Amino acid sequence: MEEKYGGDVLAGPGGGSGGGLGPVDVPSARLTKYIVLLCFTKFLKAVGLFESYDLLKVVHVVQFIFILKLGTLLLFEHSDIVVISLLSVLFTSSGGGPAKTRGAAFFIIAVICLLLFDNDDLMAKMAEHPEGHHDSALTHMLYTAIAFLGVADHKGGVLLLVLALCCKVGFHTASRKLSIDVGGAKRLQALSHLVSVLLLCPWVIVLSMTTESKVESWFSLIMPFATVIFFVMILDFYVDSICSVKMEASKCARYGSFPIFISALLFGNFWTHPITDQLRAMNKAAHQESTEHVLSGGVVVSAVFFILSANILSSPSKRGQKGTLIGYSPEGTPLYNFMGDAFQHSSQSIPRFIKESLKQILEESDSRQIFYFLCLNLLFTFVELFYGVLTNSLGLISDGFHMLFDCSALVMGLFAALMSRWKATRIFSYGYGRIEILSGFINGLFLMVIAFFVFMESVARLIDPPELDTHMLTPVSVGGLIVNLIGICAFSHAHSHNHGASQGSCHSSDHSHSHHMHGHSDHGHSHSHGSTGGGMNANMRGVFLHVLADTLGSIGVIVSTILIEQFGWFIADPLCSLFIAILIFLSVVPLIKDACQVLLLRLPPEYEKELHNALEKIQKIEGLISYRDAHFWRHSASVVAGTIHIQVTSDVLEQRVVQQVTGIIKDAGVNNLTIQVEKEAYFQHMSGLSTGFHDVLAMTKQMESMKYCKDGTYIM
Amino acid sequence: KGTIHLFRKPQRSFFGKLLQEFRLVAADRRSWKILLFGAINLACTGFLLMWCSSTNSIALTAYTYLTIFDLFSLMTCLISYWVTMRKPSPVYSFGFERLEVLAVFASTVLAQLGALFILKESAERFLEQPEIHTGRLLVGTFVALSFNLFTMLSIRNKPFAYVSEAASTSWLQEHVADLSRSLCGIIPGLSSIFLPRMNPFVLIDLAGAFALCITYMLIEINNYFAVDTASAIAIALMTFGTMYPMSVYSGKVLLQTTPPHVIGQLDKLIREVSTLDGVLEVRNEHFWTLGFGSLAGSVHVRIRRDANEQMVLAHVTNRLYTLVSTLTVQIFKDDWIRPALLSGPVAANVLNFSDHHIIPMPLLKGTEDLNPVTSTPTKPSSPPPEFSFNTPGKNVNPVTLLNTQTRPYGLGLNHGHTPYSNMLNQVLGVPGIGASQGFRTGFTNIPSRYGTNSRIGQSRP
Repeated sequence: MEEKYGGDVLAGPGGGSGGGLGPVDVPSARLTKYIVLLCFTKFLKAVGLFESYDLLKVVHVVQFIFILKLGTLLLFEHSDIVVISLLSVLFTSSGGGPAKTRGAAFFIIAVICLLLFDNDDLMAKMAEHPEGHHDSALTHMLYTAIAFLGVADHKGGVLLLVLALCCKVGFHTASRKLSIDVGGAKRLQALSHLVSVLLLCPWVIVLSMTTESKVESWFSLIMPFATVIFFVMILDFYVDSICSVKMEASKCARYGSFPIFISALLFGNFWTHPITDQLRAMNKAAHQESTEHVLSGGVVVSAVFFILSANILSSPSKRGQKGTLIGYSPEGTPLYNFMGDAFQHSSQSIPRFIKESLKQILEESDSRQIFYFLCLNLLFTFVELFYGVLTNSLGLISDGFHMLFDCSALVMGLFAALMSRWKATRIFSYGYGRIEILSGFINGLFLMVIAFFVFMESVARLIDPPELDTHMLTPVSVGGLIVNLIGICAFSHAHSHNHGASQGSCHSSDHSHSHHMHGHSDHGHSHSHGSTGGGMNANMRGVFLHVLADTLGSIGVIVSTILIEQFGWFIADPLCSLFIAILIFLSVVPLIKDACQVLLLRLPPEYEKELHNALEKIQKIEGLISYRDAHFWRHSASVVAGTIHIQVTSDVLEQRVVQQVTGIIKDAGVNNLTIQVEKEAYFQHMSGLSTGFHDVLAMTKQMESMKYCKDGTYIM
Repeated sequence: KGTIHLFRKPQRSFFGKLLQEFRLVAADRRSWKILLFGAINLACTGFLLMWCSSTNSIALTAYTYLTIFDLFSLMTCLISYWVTMRKPSPVYSFGFERLEVLAVFASTVLAQLGALFILKESAERFLEQPEIHTGRLLVGTFVALSFNLFTMLSIRNKPFAYVSEAASTSWLQEHVADLSRSLCGIIPGLSSIFLPRMNPFVLIDLAGAFALCITYMLIEINNYFAVDTASAIAIALMTFGTMYPMSVYSGKVLLQTTPPHVIGQLDKLIREVSTLDGVLEVRNEHFWTLGFGSLAGSVHVRIRRDANEQMVLAHVTNRLYTLVSTLTVQIFKDDWIRPALLSGPVAANVLNFSDHHIIPMPLLKGTEDLNPVTSTPTKPSSPPPEFSFNTPGKNVNPVTLLNTQTRPYGLGLNHGHTPYSNMLNQVLGVPGIGASQGFRTGFTNIPSRYGTNSRIGQSRP
């Protein structure tokens, strides 16, 4: 085992091989004896625990918890540090680098493995249950309680153990403070054992009264009891406390967890083995081979994961911490202060955060509508899921998942609507309005993907039409249709305000048509583009189309159900979905096209003509020679930005030209404008300044063109 | 077909246009390779999808989506070739550089949406685990893996290479880097392969293949069909992890944000600009990335009334040009109308002014609305000019005007002109309009003493 330790030290990420840098370490040679001691006691503890399992089977104290002895060892013996770091990784964002996250993931995987894959004799257990293997009322009660939850008994044990582990860690952290008050950790330990004994006493008495004892002689049990008490309680505590004084706590945990897992695995394999049976001195009175857990692959895997996670989590986190540089040591190595983390906790409390974000959501109509509809949708989904679980109908549950999946688009739309109102920052210098367009684009892609999958599915079904069970479909799809119709009414209300089009319900062709219309009709000559309306809110369009697609889906289901029930046309279902897929696709194309144009900084199509006129008007301004680099683009629903470079003759006042040009272009609808007025002097300055050769060349070309133009104007 | 049709056709039909552009791209030698790979990819994806339905394995489906993503990345590569050939059109005045970014964004988002679909499907599969046939599982895995790796390594995909370098590391990369750091502690030679950061696409391909191998093994050995679903979820999560940073990066480009890594440099340049002679403040600065790498930006610079606009413009442009390639600088002065009244020939200017005063005045308000604090001096004084000629003493309050104006010009005054302004205030401090205008003329007289004006004089034809 010592060799394993050597390997462990080497393989540990940055453990002993760190070298000169890092926290000051005691030379490991001096620690070896403590490590060996620790290992030995842990080994003995494992023996003791297994022993106690056997005992408990006989004595019936809290047999239930120890049903999965291996699980007990694996789970319960994680030391505080491991668990604390696990919890900190899980529940605080400031974990400690990727290694800790990995450790936490391993831990969870191990627990899941223990839960899922250790199903070797689950059936045997279930079959045995009626035989009355449980002879105490308490265990039976617990058993039925767990069975009601739908997990097998040892799985319930695992869950209980996780809870108990958390409690234990909580107790240990609390006890640090308490031990000072009580007067030493030793006394506290003794007290806590006393209290637990007192707590357990009534149970024992009640149990021993109610159940017929299987114990033949109490006397023969004294010896094992003594060993258990000695190994598990006393020896372990002393050695632990000594080691934690001598070594770091994390190191202690690491070396302590390893042998106990290994020995647990070994014992799990060999404890019930005939050879060990012979080796053991005492005779087991009621030893039932059939109920023993055989070591399964899942347990081994989970044990490996537990070892890994314990190793990773208990290793001191070095890289993840953000240290602040204090200075340099005399040798020249940098010194860091790792205390900074403690001061960075300034997170809001959760209820307050929820309250504030709710307030923000309800402030404006867009986000409010999305939010209400999202709530409705979620409600419907959960009713569906609940009902599906209740009636055990897979179709309902999977439809519920589908609805949840659709809700993700709504959630994104909600976030975009919320974020688009944020104030402009250094990075988002124009404001966050463009997020709505991006979200509309993503929603469009989402719908395309949905349409694609529906299309593929329906083609597959066209080739091979399956038999459908239709009786469950109708109520669900009618419910979905009602919910979605409400959504359509809500959204198209806001929609038709912007468009002046009639209600855009149900007919997607009509709808897309109205979109084509709006480019021309809406932006007549209104220059006051408030942030509230705006002709083009891609986000709301995306959400609307989503709801529309859902509605189409439920209509399709209803229609195909009717067709199938009335005429028995099973081909109707794939045809319907094919049709729906094409409709969705066609209705999404304009949205994606518009969003793409905005994202590619196209000249806004609805302003194209006016801007063209404006640029022509600009050229007629007195003293203006030409313009170049005219860029106009829509940044968001409310911001249309533009930049332009203007060349003027030398005798014109720049500011006046700027004002005139600004007036003209702003009249054309651009509300964020930058104008660079250049005279010939500018190009001379530029060529005089140390610009690169190519720039100078470009500049002189510009100048020449200017001269040419000037000549032209002079001639005119 | 007549000539008119030929002329009109490319504008009308979408597919004709597409075909034309496609021919343009296909003329390039490099794109042949990509087209070849695309064809192979299509065939490969078809086979994989067939195997997916025959094995009924969702993990393999999730892995197949990575192959489809490869197809998208090939398309992005083609688009980037096309972009380099296209010149900016009048409608797309910035050129088509952003199409590359949009393609990257769209393909990463599509990959994530595919992963979302996988997550949904596997949630449904947890309820009812179907049987998985392992027949073609391993074959499919290795076909997909080898094809993906071959594509990744043999085609230089410029946009994706750039994004995967520039975007922040995915969690998968971080974990691998963390693991390999400790591995390289044992075998130092490996550091050249693993250490800085692995190519995320290669990484996810390998990791997905690994997950599929484990699935295959466990199903073969123990018939744990749930492993298939679990590894599908793992692959979907890895896809999310890999694609998310890239889509965030390209999405930020699309959102016209200032890239965080240039903010330091930009700040330095803007500080330099604001210390230029005559510059009072820099505001409305918008800097954003046009395509991958090239910055565009616009900035408003407020200068002293007496500063030479063209000179300052040239200097500001010169400073910022090193970083921002598409730059527009608007120079503006407060109250530029007043000096024009007194410095030039009075009669001509008054005429000139009466011609224009109707147009500019409301607009001035519009422009100054953006920053009310700095433009305070303009607002109270913007109405007077029209009236002040006729009724000089009527709407002017000399004391308050002086107070409001000395504040913003404090910077300018520090340049050593205080005696002038004092003197001029005393000299020209006549009641009514004179107070404010005299204050300004003090500066308008100075530029003639500045070196720049002489140059303008020389350059003037």
